[in-house]
Amino acid sequence: MAFATAMGENEAVTSNPPVLLEAATLSKSFGARQVLDCVSLRLAAGEIVGLLGPNGAGKTTTLSILATLLAPDAGEVRLGGRRLRGASDQLRAIGYVPQAIALYRSLSAAQNLALFARLHGMSRREAREATRRALDDVGLAERYRDTVAVLSGGMQRRLNLACGMVHRPQLLLLDEPTVGVDPQSREQILGTISRAAANGAGVIYSTHYMEEVERICTRAYLIDRGRVVAAGSIAELIAMGGARPVMEINCRNAPATNCFAGLSGVAPLARAYTNGRLQVQIESVALVDTVLARARAAGAQVVEFSVHNPNLSDAFIALTGHELRDPA
Amino acid sequence: MLRTIALTVVNEFRLLARDAIGLFMLVLAPLVIIAVAGFSLSNLFGAQPRDTLYTLPIVNDDGGPVADALARALARAPGLKPVQVPTVEAARAIVNGTVRAPLALIIPRGTSAAIARGGDARLRLYIDPIKRVELSPLEFQIDALCRAVTIAARAEAADRDAQAAADLRARSRRVAATVAEVQKTLAAYQEQAAGARNRAEALVKAQLERRMQAAIAQARQQTELAIRQAAARTEATLTHELAVRSQAAQAIASYLLALQRSEAAFARWLTQLKEAAGPHASAIPAPPAFPPAPSAATVAALTQPLDLSEAERPLSEASPVAPFRDQSITVALPPAPPLPQLPLDRLRNDLAAIATLPVPVVPGVLGWEEAPAAGASLNVNAFDQYVPGFGITFLLIAMLMGLAMGLIDERDWGTLSRLRVSGAPLSGTVIGKLTARFLVGYLQMIALLVFGRWLFDVSLGQTPAMLLVPAAAIAFAAAAFSLVVACVARTHDSVMPIGTVSAMAMSAIGGCWWPLDFEPTWMRTVADFLPTTWTMIAFNNLMIRGLPPSSAIWPSLAATALGFGFVIVGLAAASRAYR
Repeated sequence: MAFATAMGENEAVTSNPPVLLEAATLSKSFGARQVLDCVSLRLAAGEIVGLLGPNGAGKTTTLSILATLLAPDAGEVRLGGRRLRGASDQLRAIGYVPQAIALYRSLSAAQNLALFARLHGMSRREAREATRRALDDVGLAERYRDTVAVLSGGMQRRLNLACGMVHRPQLLLLDEPTVGVDPQSREQILGTISRAAANGAGVIYSTHYMEEVERICTRAYLIDRGRVVAAGSIAELIAMGGARPVMEINCRNAPATNCFAGLSGVAPLARAYTNGRLQVQIESVALVDTVLARARAAGAQVVEFSVHNPNLSDAFIALTGHELRDPA
Repeated sequence: MLRTIALTVVNEFRLLARDAIGLFMLVLAPLVIIAVAGFSLSNLFGAQPRDTLYTLPIVNDDGGPVADALARALARAPGLKPVQVPTVEAARAIVNGTVRAPLALIIPRGTSAAIARGGDARLRLYIDPIKRVELSPLEFQIDALCRAVTIAARAEAADRDAQAAADLRARSRRVAATVAEVQKTLAAYQEQAAGARNRAEALVKAQLERRMQAAIAQARQQTELAIRQAAARTEATLTHELAVRSQAAQAIASYLLALQRSEAAFARWLTQLKEAAGPHASAIPAPPAFPPAPSAATVAALTQPLDLSEAERPLSEASPVAPFRDQSITVALPPAPPLPQLPLDRLRNDLAAIATLPVPVVPGVLGWEEAPAAGASLNVNAFDQYVPGFGITFLLIAMLMGLAMGLIDERDWGTLSRLRVSGAPLSGTVIGKLTARFLVGYLQMIALLVFGRWLFDVSLGQTPAMLLVPAAAIAFAAAAFSLVVACVARTHDSVMPIGTVSAMAMSAIGGCWWPLDFEPTWMRTVADFLPTTWTMIAFNNLMIRGLPPSSAIWPSLAATALGFGFVIVGLAAASRAYR
């Protein structure tokens, strides 16, 4: 299969910046369980592309293949036009930030950074300089002597990110870098990523936080059960979920999804309501009272409700039938 | 409260049921260690060595019946495989080697002869002091054999002596009878000989008297003749002497007369001269010479004693004893009585037979003595075994914690993946970890040996520096082994149960806790594939057996080779487990 043809199967390319990374029809199975099924994606230099999906969707597997940690069963990856084989010059172009805090806990922040800098081929002096710069980038300059074990969770996350960026890679592969961090660290991390992209690095940002994707990514791939279900700019993706407002109702007991059957201008987003949360698209805010009345009539004890413009999460639910936070 | 306890108990069992590692630790791990210890130490508790066969090198320098008896008895002994070797060196080499041979038996030259002479003899047992516990049963066995040989030799000697005594008694009786017969014959002969002697004496006496008479007469005649001859010679001599002195006296008298005349002539001449000379008396010539005096010899002849030598000549050959000197007596003696026929041959044979009868001797005692096969001391400092042995055990465990757990931790933390993406290939990372842990383990072993020397006075062998070789070998092999464990165990929690059980089993089977030869043959075969075994052989050779440094080279190489095997397997497994 031609590479360009394969790319076209899952993605509508909206612009033509210089292509940094291309992955075509990647498939991967672990035993009988297929975790990736013909996943293709493309990344341009200076671009931040979101990889959005629930837990188990295949995001980490995709990143592992892109980081050469896993070999795909099928498909191929090209970095800068060359097939990605894990050559040392290719690895120097890649910065990988795993979801786990992949640091040496008994070493200091500076020692961790210096180790990865040296592994990427830097001299001792270059590594020292890169370490200082990376610590500045993530706001840990004053904690460079502290061991990882004594840093807070958010600081560890920042250091984790810094270790992946210390050698200023062309391609940054970030696997949920903000999991469990405080708002301050989140801001620091997102800012650092944005600056890296602004300096020309291509970033693939894997997360299930759609707010982060909406905030820093120019494009995104929605992945579910190992397949790319949608790809495009954020606006395009949101549009795929529909342009109508979304009404969200939190109840003590969720009624059946068919309780809104027959109501004109009202369509449930999910196939089933979980945790007492109802999400329905409505044609206009004028239908709010009607929806509430129908829900109460179906036995729901409404606690609160809200109406918002559609977002990526709504689009994901619309496209997959379940929420981002649900396991795939 | 009770509800809490009950629920907790149930929950714990539920957790345990899902905890394979816990179950492994509960059942399998102790079973493995119990099996290893039980099989290894069964001989120690007196179990029959069903499948344990000890090689017993025998050097038979004696070649006598004692050696043969020992060889036959040892060949029948259960659990022993006697092997005849030509030299002591070969026997010691077997004991010091890897063959299961706690001792070598040397039967010295002359052992059988010494025992037969009634002297004591000692077998020499070249022992490996490391195998002291296994030695004891064998030494008991050999000691019992020595006692049995001694008892058998004495019983045999007693039988032989009894038979010899009976033979001696029979021969003695026969000799006594012969002697009595000889005495009787000789008494008769003595009587005959006495008669003959008396007769011969009478004949000799008569003949001697006749001869004496004749000789005396002849001597008298000869004496008279000799006297006459001597008197004549004396007379002639005196005559001659007197003539000589008379001649000398005449010469003197002539001189005195001539002198008298010359004196008168001189007086006249002098008077005339003085008258003639007048005033010229001073010109008077010298007076004429006087006649010469008789020679001194002539005068001396008058004073010489008379030469009577001719007159004093002995009576010459005509000595009056001569007739007695050359007289021979020939007596016609009467014939001697014939010698009787004596049974001397029989007597000589009997006596010769008695002389050759063996002297009864109580055979000596056969004993044994120990000597170190390798030239080291017979006594072993237990710490020489335990310092390297337990050092290896804890080295293995430290490696498991350091390398195996470290590798698994890094995989779980994600740093291993991160290292790979950072350009560090897995093999490079693993080899780097191996190298670091090898160096740490090496230092650990060195420190243990130093402290062992300091605290427990362990022996460092002929060349202490050589201990660094097996220490390096086991540090490498242990690091490599922990890599294999890291690939087998897969999870952090399973490293310790799998690793420690493996490490303890390797230590036990490899001779770190007790001598290798405690173990049954099948386990000993397993031990050949463990680096702990070869390292302990090297340490034992250097520290306990006191062998030269070269004795540690091959075992260390074997341990290193096994370490390389672990590395190859470990790297191959790691490429699957950690990729």
